[in-house]
Amino acid sequence: MSEQQLFKVTIDNITINVAPGTSILHAARSIGGDVAPPAMCFYSKLQGSGGKCRTCLVEVSKGSEKDPRPMPKLVASCRTTVMDGMEVKNITSSKVKEARAGVVEFLLINHPLDCPICDQAGECHLQDLGYEHGKAGTRYEFQRRTFHKHDIGPYIQLHMTRCILCYRCIYTADQLTNKREHGVLSRGDHSEIATYIEKALDNDFIGNVIDVCPVGALTDKTFRFKNRVWFTKPVDAHRDCPTCAGKVQLWMRGDEVFRVTARKDEWGEVKDTADGKTGWICNECRFEKKNVNDWVIEGPSVISRHSVIAQGHYLGLKKPEETIVKVMDGQKPRFFMDIHDVSEVNRPNIDLSLIEGPATSDTFNGKQKD
Amino acid sequence: MGVKILLEKDHVAGIRGYEVYRREGGYRSVEKAMKMGPAEIVEEVKKSGLRGRGGAGFPTGLKWSFIAKPEGVPRHLVCNADESEPGTFKDRYLMEFLPHLLIEGLIVSSYALGSNVTYIYIRGEYAWIVDILEQAIAEAKLNGWLGKNILGSGFDCEIYVQRGAGAYICGEETALIESLEGKRGNPRIKPPFPAIKGVWDRPTVVNNVETLAAVVPIINMGGEEYAKIGVGKSTGTKLLSACGNINKPGVYEIDMTISVEEFIYSNEYCGGIANGKKLKACIPGGSSVPILPANLLLKTAKGETRYMNYESLSDGGFATGSMMGSGGFIVLDEDQCVVKHTYTLARFYRHESCGQCSPCREGTGWMEKILKSIDSGKGKMSDINLLWDIQSKIEGNTICPLGDAAAWPVAAAIRHFRDEFEWHVLNPDECLKRNYGLAHYADEIHVPVTA
Repeated sequence: MSEQQLFKVTIDNITINVAPGTSILHAARSIGGDVAPPAMCFYSKLQGSGGKCRTCLVEVSKGSEKDPRPMPKLVASCRTTVMDGMEVKNITSSKVKEARAGVVEFLLINHPLDCPICDQAGECHLQDLGYEHGKAGTRYEFQRRTFHKHDIGPYIQLHMTRCILCYRCIYTADQLTNKREHGVLSRGDHSEIATYIEKALDNDFIGNVIDVCPVGALTDKTFRFKNRVWFTKPVDAHRDCPTCAGKVQLWMRGDEVFRVTARKDEWGEVKDTADGKTGWICNECRFEKKNVNDWVIEGPSVISRHSVIAQGHYLGLKKPEETIVKVMDGQKPRFFMDIHDVSEVNRPNIDLSLIEGPATSDTFNGKQKD
Repeated sequence: MGVKILLEKDHVAGIRGYEVYRREGGYRSVEKAMKMGPAEIVEEVKKSGLRGRGGAGFPTGLKWSFIAKPEGVPRHLVCNADESEPGTFKDRYLMEFLPHLLIEGLIVSSYALGSNVTYIYIRGEYAWIVDILEQAIAEAKLNGWLGKNILGSGFDCEIYVQRGAGAYICGEETALIESLEGKRGNPRIKPPFPAIKGVWDRPTVVNNVETLAAVVPIINMGGEEYAKIGVGKSTGTKLLSACGNINKPGVYEIDMTISVEEFIYSNEYCGGIANGKKLKACIPGGSSVPILPANLLLKTAKGETRYMNYESLSDGGFATGSMMGSGGFIVLDEDQCVVKHTYTLARFYRHESCGQCSPCREGTGWMEKILKSIDSGKGKMSDINLLWDIQSKIEGNTICPLGDAAAWPVAAAIRHFRDEFEWHVLNPDECLKRNYGLAHYADEIHVPVTA
């Protein structure tokens, strides 16, 4: 038989056959749904990632057909390969649920929980993780950890307090850029992502650290405070880019392009392009091409229903029928005043994507320096 | 008088230098080993029943037999001299006074494992010992024990000393390997184990200083003879570094047949508790192993005498026992506060966590903060259960054993000294002025009679 021998593995009582060398996490992902353990640090497109966050811990209740002993400890499913006849318990194991809730609590005790002002909110994996696997309250009563601020250049905003030290951005810089300029400094709970000497991260392709960051620690400075992600509409677009594949997702509101990111799959990872390579995008596509004319728009992206971005209901959007005239028995509503006559905010003539930094009252009252 | 094998000659004047060491019978084992052949040496070590002296107690011969031997790929032996477990200072003594014993053990072990380049990874704080070791290596090389074609056997070997930068975590073998390679000392995710992929992805064995030194007497006297010393699976002799409230702190060599009581009170060893105080508690194997109150230390839960060996110290599991660990024997007298002591350890582990995996990075800091508030009289009753819960969520869920090492002392302190914690919570003012004292911790344990 020339066919490759497949391993039989049972995860949460669902049996599938996978190729040898597959990790438990990948096997579980091929089943999909709740069976797939959450992964905060593992990123299948980055070599060497995983094993650190411990959210993907699973119980191996049977090692293999040959050696049916259970594994003594919970194992990180992202870095453990399947054996023939292995039986894994994820959501069916109370030990796993308990340990995972513990990990979520650990990840959150020093997290600032500043979601209301965080640009990642709405597409944050830590939010999803806390919602799905965490507990409602906190038992932590001490001051949360803070860091000295580091400026890492004009494109990327670093919020170290939000970081969960997944090391994904380190692997990204190692594997995609010419030279890694940042790393993990210090040790233990005071370790931080930083450049040792204040330095800007501006290597080509370094912008991808924003896409791989599971939390709001690394965000796009050109998008900072410009909009909430759930108000923007993702559309697939491409351009002829000399450096990268140029296949991106534009996050638009009206005709304005607020943000450009790579396209992501259902696990939040950057999708492969048609030629099988990972669709990382270059800095120019991400930060410089904010004009809709730069792009060929393919159409709206398909957004998973579980995402808050799906709240936009923009796909095949049908405008609701205006009922007010009928309700008011044929009377048209009276126009009291134009809001722009009395308020200085929300001027329709101000293009938010062209201003530098966050929008403030100065943006609208004409005091903004040009 | 107990058996002395490793420290037999430690008081001979000038034993640190090559001339005296050789005159006293040094390097005999290398001569013998070169005639034996690698496989035979591994077999002798297996027969000796030698267990890793770094803390885990894994059989050394077995570990050596796991090393992969792919064609054309160099193998390495790494000596773990990153002795940083609080309370442990036996390797320091060995390297400082008998450097040639380690070098001799390294040559024999390198030959057995086929390591042409062997490293000693030493903790940065042992700065002066690096000079001692490097001098010993130079002397050995000058006399033909190192370099090309040792004793005409065709075996080449070089030994290099590498200093660490002061991290406890680099005593964990994969973190040590990362650090040796010049990277940040983060433990690797196993598998692959170092025996398959270690230093520069080559098969590697990492052994403790004392383990490698013990190879010398094993070759000299033969594995079977060595196995006759000691008891059961605790063969040979073990170095213990005793410290705390005892009359004679220091490094002692024991043959693992003496009782804990004898070790603490006999004049040959610790010489009893200092200042005529009473024994309250003891950590028998370095700061990571569970602390035991006096009554459980001297007698097991079954009422039997507890001996200083791997099996007897761990009798009763973690519920009523402890571990041999690295041999850092820390004694606490009746004036010591277990809460403060546990806080100190928690602070240490928080500071030394590498920060790679979440439970250890966040959990150690949380435990430290809670222990600090209990110690300073600001604790709540619920904090004790919270501590227990935190440690249980760290233990077993981390990449490397540092998570377990941070969780066990806290768990054991709560398990055996819960009333002292409660006393701190209930007497917030008094606990700042005085200690809880001995209480009932030395009382005879009631052993239920089975029908």
